[in-house]
Amino acid sequence: MGQFIDGPLWAFSLGVFVLGVIWRVVTILIAGNRSDLATAKGSAGKGAIRAVFSRFIPERTVTSRGRIQLIAGYLFHLGLLALLFFAKPHVDFIAERITGLSWSAMPHWAFIVSAEAAFIGLILLWLHRVLNPVTRLLSDLDDHVGSILVFLVMLTGCLALAQSFEPLRLIHLLLAELLLIYFPFSKLMHAFTFVMSRGYTGATMGRKGINA
Amino acid sequence: MARSITLQIDNRNKQHAGWLLLLLLCLFVQPFDTFAKASESRGIPSAVVLNPAAEIWRDVRQREQLTNGTSQVKGVDSGVLINAYGDQWRNFRMQQLIPIGGFLLIGVVIALALFYLFRGKVAIEGGESDKKLLRYTNYEQLIHWFIASIFLFLAISGLIILFGRPVLIPIIGKEVFSIIASACKEGHNLMGPLFLVALILIFIKFVRRNIYQKGDLSWLLRGGGIIGKKHVPSNFFNMGEKTMFWMLVLVGSVVIISGFVLIFPIFGQGREWMELAHVGHAIGAILMISVIIGHIYIGTIGMEGAIEGMKTGYCDLNWAKEHHDLWATKAEQQGEAISNDKVSQLREVSSAQPLGGHVQEE
Amino acid sequence: MSEKFEQGVQALRQQIDARISAYFSSCVHCGLCAEACLFYTETNNPRFTPIHKLEPMKKLWRREYTFWGKLAAAFGLGQSLTEDDFAEWETLVYDSCTLCGRCSMVCPVGNDITYMIRKQREGFSVAGYAPDGMKEATRRALKIGSPMGVTYKTLKAALAHVEKDTGMTIPVDKQGADYMTLFSSMEIVNFPEYIESIARIFDATGVSWTISSKAFEATNSGIQIGNKEAAAEIVNRVVIAAEKLGVKYVISPECGHAYTAIRWEGPNLIGRKYPFEVIHILELLDQLKKEGRLQLEYKDSIPMTLHDPCQIVRRGGVVKQPRDLLNSVAEHFTEMKDHGVMNWCCGGGGGVSANERAEPLRLQVFNRKKRQLDELGINTMVTACANCRITLEEGLEHNEMDAEVISLTELIADHLVKDESKV
Repeated sequence: MGQFIDGPLWAFSLGVFVLGVIWRVVTILIAGNRSDLATAKGSAGKGAIRAVFSRFIPERTVTSRGRIQLIAGYLFHLGLLALLFFAKPHVDFIAERITGLSWSAMPHWAFIVSAEAAFIGLILLWLHRVLNPVTRLLSDLDDHVGSILVFLVMLTGCLALAQSFEPLRLIHLLLAELLLIYFPFSKLMHAFTFVMSRGYTGATMGRKGINA
Repeated sequence: MARSITLQIDNRNKQHAGWLLLLLLCLFVQPFDTFAKASESRGIPSAVVLNPAAEIWRDVRQREQLTNGTSQVKGVDSGVLINAYGDQWRNFRMQQLIPIGGFLLIGVVIALALFYLFRGKVAIEGGESDKKLLRYTNYEQLIHWFIASIFLFLAISGLIILFGRPVLIPIIGKEVFSIIASACKEGHNLMGPLFLVALILIFIKFVRRNIYQKGDLSWLLRGGGIIGKKHVPSNFFNMGEKTMFWMLVLVGSVVIISGFVLIFPIFGQGREWMELAHVGHAIGAILMISVIIGHIYIGTIGMEGAIEGMKTGYCDLNWAKEHHDLWATKAEQQGEAISNDKVSQLREVSSAQPLGGHVQEE
Repeated sequence: MSEKFEQGVQALRQQIDARISAYFSSCVHCGLCAEACLFYTETNNPRFTPIHKLEPMKKLWRREYTFWGKLAAAFGLGQSLTEDDFAEWETLVYDSCTLCGRCSMVCPVGNDITYMIRKQREGFSVAGYAPDGMKEATRRALKIGSPMGVTYKTLKAALAHVEKDTGMTIPVDKQGADYMTLFSSMEIVNFPEYIESIARIFDATGVSWTISSKAFEATNSGIQIGNKEAAAEIVNRVVIAAEKLGVKYVISPECGHAYTAIRWEGPNLIGRKYPFEVIHILELLDQLKKEGRLQLEYKDSIPMTLHDPCQIVRRGGVVKQPRDLLNSVAEHFTEMKDHGVMNWCCGGGGGVSANERAEPLRLQVFNRKKRQLDELGINTMVTACANCRITLEEGLEHNEMDAEVISLTELIADHLVKDESKV
């Protein structure tokens, strides 16, 4: 079982993830957009690039009326990113199993801070999802499965922190593999498609000479 | 060896102890003094020990005091060869904390079960009305469930760590338990600081409504309406809820501070401080868990309509009048009561049409 | 299942392009768009959440474009789009969205939700699920040439009136003029002062302009109801007339959706580039002022604020011009708290003002504008859209507020330097 999780299943899930993500992005791209015939006032390319980055900065509507989502959202995403790429075990794992490239991991205190931030963010976001009338109306099974799966991966990762019990590591790895397999078929894809969405919107707005 | 625990504590007090922790410890341990004495007096008197090695160890241990030797290693406690209090702490944990704490928790559950059998579910006497009052905003519900989920996780992982040896090992064996214990310890340590964040959010949001005010004492004197069938008027929160709030804040602070002492050995604390912190942490936690079991009881099977406010944000008007009369009456007079239909629309639980036009069932 | 419904679904299907696929893939249901939408903030009804208004289109997308949807469909499971969905969502799609575009500005993943609603209306209108008021307006626009039933005769009468008042001759069907001017019905019927104002401004600045008797209507009901054939037809009339007269520019009037229709959607609707340029009246005025041709005198001392018409500012890109123009004639111009591309809609755009059954809701969401004005304490609101203007006036009246709405173009005309030689 352990060997299966560590070996074939890992390769399989990584394959599903990579191919799935490429497949999703390609299907979106080949749906295609009609070229805009209206005379442009500004540059579409610049607008797209600007929007990809400018949307990281929230509008006042968000900072005032959406403060919870804003704070929790940032805590979660930044925490998770830091954990994913800079936690010592992950850095080692990526170097050993995927890329062969190694970079320096973050210190232990930074790891703790990132984990705390990610947990606060994710728990608040999910609670907000089920409590707020708007998000409860919008949410579907996919949203919950995605949230819970990410939560479980994070939780089991933290439970395995002592790094002295193989079963704990395997549970974490197994859940991470499930997450990888689930990823391309779910809303989790926003991690990649957000660039496309922002880009498309930014390009249209850019042509009109609006900073969006 | 025959020494009362109270005395040991006095000893500690002179050397290190923080007053707050000490107070807690005394409160908890005092009544069991005799019990402790009785069990220890059955041990072998020290004078009869013939094993010469024992003399050497006693010298090394420096008997009842803590002596700092010198060492090349620079660090907290590095000059201490053997911690004289470690054994006492261990004894306290094994012989008092675990059995007494365990029985206390089981006792609370049994008491509630008996209460339920005797009193049953407290119903809304007037039945559900057709109006509701906004009891908790979305944010208030959010932070409540935030602290609740963290509390549950910490309580369960903490109880596994504390009671694992007597309760779980006999069932699942040492092998499996060692894994679970490691997981619980890591999880408990990591989630612990989140409780601080959650408690701060709760405190800021709810403190104003939890300040004791007129009418609270009479609520208490009349037993909160639990005894007898008459309802006792109360404010937004009643005396019981307010007391629970302050208990959570104060005991919670003790648990948080002692928790930080335990997981972050960066404050220069030595082993005695850690032992003391552990005692405070465990006693505080058991107290909180007992109270929260009662809290959960009322919210779930204990009382009709009690959890609605936290689930939906709105509570039934009749429920509010029966349990929080002073608040409900005032809110109703100010025209804050909303019809059930309007609430369903705001919460989008029915497929009520937003405007004119044709609408079918969803 | 009716044939019309099938056609509606087909029309909806055709709208799903890369943009919409990316948008639906990215939406994480965070609900922030609701906080930007005045229909939600003023009612707290979660059904008014912008992305929720797209549920029918999302249902179709999920069914036909996603793994799970296709999988479920293969096993005969899951839900497909039904006529009931159209029926149920009609009010959400038409009555509670003004296509103002505010939600598109706050979406963290950058979805242009407004664009999607505009596209979804294509399917709804084909299926026949559109408000009667808007269907009628579109029908009139196609048959008579104007959504409000304004014929050239009506315009001619208005022009005669202006000519009498000013003593100027208004050039109609003048071959080879530089600029061809369009009007919205609303301006011809409710605000003929606008016609007089531009006549006076063009006279003073020496702009060579004309009005086409064949195509003077700028309002595009086809865009509002979401019918690309109707919209293209309406645009095409203008393009043919402009080509016939050989003008270099077509001037879009103050009206907001007219600008979006003729400037941004037009070439795409008719499928070719224009042989002329489209310019908004405010862009032209600003340009004339910068060139020194538009000479203005004195500044008004009454405090004024600007109501940004969504389609001109947020969705049109004419952001700076109205501010520069207003500053040149107003001494005390104060911005509202949310202004420019983040301004709050009047509540009547996107065809909502032409939709009678939406009136109670429209008046309810006007509270947002009311609060903005109350916060500022200014009673003079300048705007540049006839539809905003009428919606704002109705809202103010409904709330018994003592405030005035004036057109920026008219305000500019009032500040023209009096030409001594002509007096």
